[in-house]
Amino acid sequence: MRITILFILLLIGTNLSYGQNTGFTLSGKVKDAATKTPLSQATVSVTGTSTGTHSDSTGFYKLVIPAGIHKIRFEFVGYATIDTVLNVNTNIKLNVSLKPSDQFLKEVQVKSTAEVRKTIETQSLTVLQGTELERTRGLSLGESLKSITGVTTFQTGPSIAKPIIHGLYSNRILILNNGVRLEAQQWGSEHAPEIDPFIANRIEVIKGAAGIRYGSDAIAGVILAEPKALPTTPGTMDGEVNAVGMSNSRLGAFSAMVEGALGKKLEGFSYRIQGSYKRAGNTSTPNYILGNTGLSENDFSAALQYYHKNYGVETYYSNFNTKLGILAGTEVGSIADLKARIQETVPTTPADFTYTIDRPYQTVNHATAKVRGFYNFDDGSKLQIQYAYQTNKRSEYDLLSYSTSLNPSLYLKINTSTADINFDQKPIGGLTGSIGVSGMNQGNVRMYQYLIPNFVDYDGGAYIIERYRYKKLLFEAGIRYDYRWLKAYRFNDTVAKIEATTTHYQSSSSTLGATYNITSDLSLSGNFGSAFRAPTVNELYSNGVHQTLISYEVGDPNLKTERASNFSLNLNYQSHRVAIDLQGYYNNINNFIFLQPTGQYTRVQSGSLLMFDYTQANVFFRGIDLGVIVKPLDSLEINSKTSLIYAYNKTIHDYLIYTPPMRLQNGVTYHFGSLGAFKNLVLGAENVFVAKQTKVPANQDYAPPPGAYSLYNAHLGFRLIINHTYAAIDLSVNNLTNVAYKDYLDRFRYFANEPGRNIIFRLRVPFSILQNNK
Amino acid sequence: MLKLKHATYVLLGTALFYASCSSKSEQAVAPTIANEQLTSAYLKLTNEANASDTTSCRYRFHLDNNGNVKSTDSTALVIKANAKYDVKVVMLDTTQSPTFTVSDEIKQRQNYHLFFFQPTPISSANLVIGTSSPYISGTVTSATGPYLNLAVARTDLDTNTPPLQVGLTDLFTTGAASTGNLRLVLRHQPNAKNGLYAPGSSDLDVNFKVTIK
Repeated sequence: MRITILFILLLIGTNLSYGQNTGFTLSGKVKDAATKTPLSQATVSVTGTSTGTHSDSTGFYKLVIPAGIHKIRFEFVGYATIDTVLNVNTNIKLNVSLKPSDQFLKEVQVKSTAEVRKTIETQSLTVLQGTELERTRGLSLGESLKSITGVTTFQTGPSIAKPIIHGLYSNRILILNNGVRLEAQQWGSEHAPEIDPFIANRIEVIKGAAGIRYGSDAIAGVILAEPKALPTTPGTMDGEVNAVGMSNSRLGAFSAMVEGALGKKLEGFSYRIQGSYKRAGNTSTPNYILGNTGLSENDFSAALQYYHKNYGVETYYSNFNTKLGILAGTEVGSIADLKARIQETVPTTPADFTYTIDRPYQTVNHATAKVRGFYNFDDGSKLQIQYAYQTNKRSEYDLLSYSTSLNPSLYLKINTSTADINFDQKPIGGLTGSIGVSGMNQGNVRMYQYLIPNFVDYDGGAYIIERYRYKKLLFEAGIRYDYRWLKAYRFNDTVAKIEATTTHYQSSSSTLGATYNITSDLSLSGNFGSAFRAPTVNELYSNGVHQTLISYEVGDPNLKTERASNFSLNLNYQSHRVAIDLQGYYNNINNFIFLQPTGQYTRVQSGSLLMFDYTQANVFFRGIDLGVIVKPLDSLEINSKTSLIYAYNKTIHDYLIYTPPMRLQNGVTYHFGSLGAFKNLVLGAENVFVAKQTKVPANQDYAPPPGAYSLYNAHLGFRLIINHTYAAIDLSVNNLTNVAYKDYLDRFRYFANEPGRNIIFRLRVPFSILQNNK
Repeated sequence: MLKLKHATYVLLGTALFYASCSSKSEQAVAPTIANEQLTSAYLKLTNEANASDTTSCRYRFHLDNNGNVKSTDSTALVIKANAKYDVKVVMLDTTQSPTFTVSDEIKQRQNYHLFFFQPTPISSANLVIGTSSPYISGTVTSATGPYLNLAVARTDLDTNTPPLQVGLTDLFTTGAASTGNLRLVLRHQPNAKNGLYAPGSSDLDVNFKVTIK
């Protein structure tokens, strides 16, 4: 079933934004599932309309349907009927295999190839949606993406996870929340992305240097969290409720959404209101409880859109609020304390379960407001303008020894305005493309302790991406220019006055790629992307103790921009029984900025701390991501995912710290079809194996990398039909065998094990409130 | 098309509005304030045999404007051989005005704090380690002398059940004339104090030069 959903959802491809023009073609072949013989005179219809057709003698059918979400029905006498819901915003090819109706309908084969509109077509794009995304509900954004090859997380205990793409994270990944480039204090390794994953109904991950379209900095990749397109059928109102419960940490998460499209005189207006609430207490490892690891989160978002024939305006607002506990015992004062912690097999400070979050903790509020307008010209070109304003307030509360202060130790507020204009040119022969400009202005204000300075920055960029399709070949090329002006305000204590330092950075990004569709099932893509990243304020001006890392970090105001040259090769094969996605990449980064231990110690009241300098070197990352899905039976799916990565510092001839070790995920899923009241019953199990990282730089870590680990996860999913609607239920067990392990990419591995067994219950109930209330 | 133009002007206008008014607050740099900042630690000693015989030593941290330790200085402790001294630990935060007496706050939270005293060098022969002793286990011992001939005992108790020592007041017993260092460590052990060094983390870790003559 998953392969089916995957393919159907692939179609749902691009967010509908334009395309209220004449309509798109839906075409394909109808076959007998067993014999593969074409079925002529099969009925293909759009439910609720008079649109319909019959397949010809070769099984071929073709329909022209307007953009929007449609339910398509395939019927043939003696065969089971298939209904499928499509979000039509491009020409779609959909091949359907029907099964004789006397046969128990376990599985339908739907395979299609859609002309998915990607911003960079020759680059690897992975989409997480449908049941796969639903099975991550309740997790943070970073955790949700772990099932994608080449993607893992950089964690700070169980409550904070940042995504890693091809070994890189933080500022080297751009995250777009509903089309708005997330701007927060993302340089911090313990600053998790401020996004409520419940907002998204699809998450796209671009692996590789993708700065060309979304702005410089994206030298490792881009994550796009996309909400479902707003409804367009007038006079409808729908809703959805999600609930998640987890045994470990006793997490409860609830999300509710109401959306609709207005009818009558207000036709063209549609809206959505959504809210989430999440609360978790202390997480347990197999042998002890992790003190102060609770979290709470409440989020709200609202969208209002007006669509007319060829133009539309969308407004969006989201507010994200979280409080994250930091594992007790990790705020050590000195190297000696840290070494003592590393020696302990069990925390000396025992903890009980509680939802209470004490110091140390973080609170973060992130508000985003956006207005987007578009205009579709009659010649097929499209203009899109977007303005967004974001405010991110971060407070970090340190562990206090004697003070009764209620103040945080660190407060940072950053305001960002972004403006983007994109113009998609009208297709000229096989040539399509887009051109655009973007601008950003930021202001950062700090209070309490010093970590990064106040600053103001202005960014501007312009790009052009063109692609040319010729028969089975697609060529793509693009170039972008970016400029950054950064002014930092710091208090200079030697002269006792505020000093302003201005730096500016400018450079170009480019992309060049080609895709060759060898057969309709097999394609090969090659892409070269060149991108740069200007140093961030922390890399330039940090000077002080970074809590929980107990490192004393010193910035370098003379750092130059990083330059990434990323080569990737993608082989994609998809047939009825086998799907293979193979990506090889080589990302060379010159002037790569990283923290290097100096070997020197600095004196603080509580002892001595190791000093780290921000420094630059030429490095490379290379690796392979392989995903294979095999379906020996219609109802049985075996999938295997492999992520291999190798990172090397060419300047000092050593490995790079925090490189993800080899990761293998092997799973099997069996689809029972319907068993009594249980519809779409699915049972699955998987093994996650993470090897020990042996390629680590000498003398750069407080403790050697932990050993390899192997986890077993299982899940059972089904749907229950209740009063014309359904409830989707999923029961999962993670770390089934309750293995005690540590992960190399968790900064708290010095202190504690990873979570033990976790039983997760997920419920999703979509419902309809109004239908056709015109 | 007209509507599109209007939309463009509105968007660009808003962008410019924000761009033009956002830099004032960034130019005013807020002072660096730490919730907790220890700047000096004193040991104040009174000879038990002669109340007018008092002495003290001081360890001081000099901070830069970012609250980071720029430099340190300390005064040595000079005490008589074969004597007993009553000791009081005083810690200050001089970044606050008026000066904040940290040791008074430690007294308020004595159930979470424990002081340790470690004379160095020490020999394996006169090494005293136990749950009631303020010495730091794991301190390197040397088989050959000379040793700092000083014994330390905490004289105050907290309100834990059973009561545990604190170390804000202590008794120093000196032996024969000798020189060395005295390491003073304040451990912060919230909900974990058990008389041992291991739980929690250090708030203060300093060394005083000591001369017994």
